[in-house]
Amino acid sequence: MTGRLRAASPGLLVILALVSCVVTLIIVGTRGRTAPVGEAERVQQIAAGLHCPVCKDLSVADSPAPLAQQMRQEIAEKVHAGESADQIRAGFVAAYGESVLMTPPKHGLAGAAYHLPLIVMVLGLLVSFLLLRRWLHKPQSEPLAGDSVSLSASQRRAVDVAIARLREEEPG
Amino acid sequence: MRRIGLRRIVLLATVVAAVLAVVILLATGLGRDPSAPASPLVGRAAPGFTLAQLDGPQFTLSTLRGQVVVINFWASWCAECHTEQSALNGTWQQFRDSGVVVVGVNFQDTSTDARDYVRTAGVSYPVVEDSDSRAALAYGVRGIPETFIVDRSGRIVDRVIGPVDAAKLAGQINSLLSAGSR
Repeated sequence: MTGRLRAASPGLLVILALVSCVVTLIIVGTRGRTAPVGEAERVQQIAAGLHCPVCKDLSVADSPAPLAQQMRQEIAEKVHAGESADQIRAGFVAAYGESVLMTPPKHGLAGAAYHLPLIVMVLGLLVSFLLLRRWLHKPQSEPLAGDSVSLSASQRRAVDVAIARLREEEPG
Repeated sequence: MRRIGLRRIVLLATVVAAVLAVVILLATGLGRDPSAPASPLVGRAAPGFTLAQLDGPQFTLSTLRGQVVVINFWASWCAECHTEQSALNGTWQQFRDSGVVVVGVNFQDTSTDARDYVRTAGVSYPVVEDSDSRAALAYGVRGIPETFIVDRSGRIVDRVIGPVDAAKLAGQINSLLSAGSR
């Protein structure tokens, strides 16, 4: 029973790891997808995703700088005019570049921040799976004749006689 | 000669590629000033604006198509803007009859302070008031002074962060003028 458990546990671990990864991805993927209700919340959400260009590490939502206030005003006007969050962000990116975004974009070199962990995770799982498969299916090594086969005295004598006879029969 | 296995070659190549990737990333990243990111506007059409001049009439950028335009964002409270003032005044005097326009865009300032400064600093080129910072936002201004050089076709060819250098600016303008006359 214990031996069986020991043999099954690596496979079980892989399954558990896969399940936990999938659950984590689902949780991370679905978090924060609830749409804010009002315009003010949308403005706040968009402003929170933009760097204040004249500040150090402050979002447009948090900065008291006059330029950030003007950006909030512009966001509010665009939200009111019916522009989507992506369109508004694109407008600021066109002027300031992607560095104006608080979170790196999902494409280009910065996109590696999103894709690399997933790639590493998949590769890790693949390597783990291959190693586990190799360990689980490792063939038992054949016993070496000289090491583990023990002969009785009479058997040994019989072998010696047979070898001697073979040598006599050899030509030359 | 010792034979190297394929697996070892693949492993070695992977390690070399990973090290190379980190080196390239560091080399490109460390050679750049993080406080002065490249403007995505360079090479693109200059955002248009219509703003009131300090002395009254409206000023529309698109009316200057066909001329080289130097757009300078400044404020009276900005010490570095004072440093570059003589360079801008000199550029205006030198090129105003050659199809070049210098435009001052007053940024986050009061009209009174801006007018006082323009008078005392001897500014004679057009100065407009960007009272709600819309032009500054359209140009991706991060701080002042910031200067954009626009060619005859209305395309931004350079952005200068900090005070402009008179000789360098003159060189850029001359090359734009000669390119346009060819």
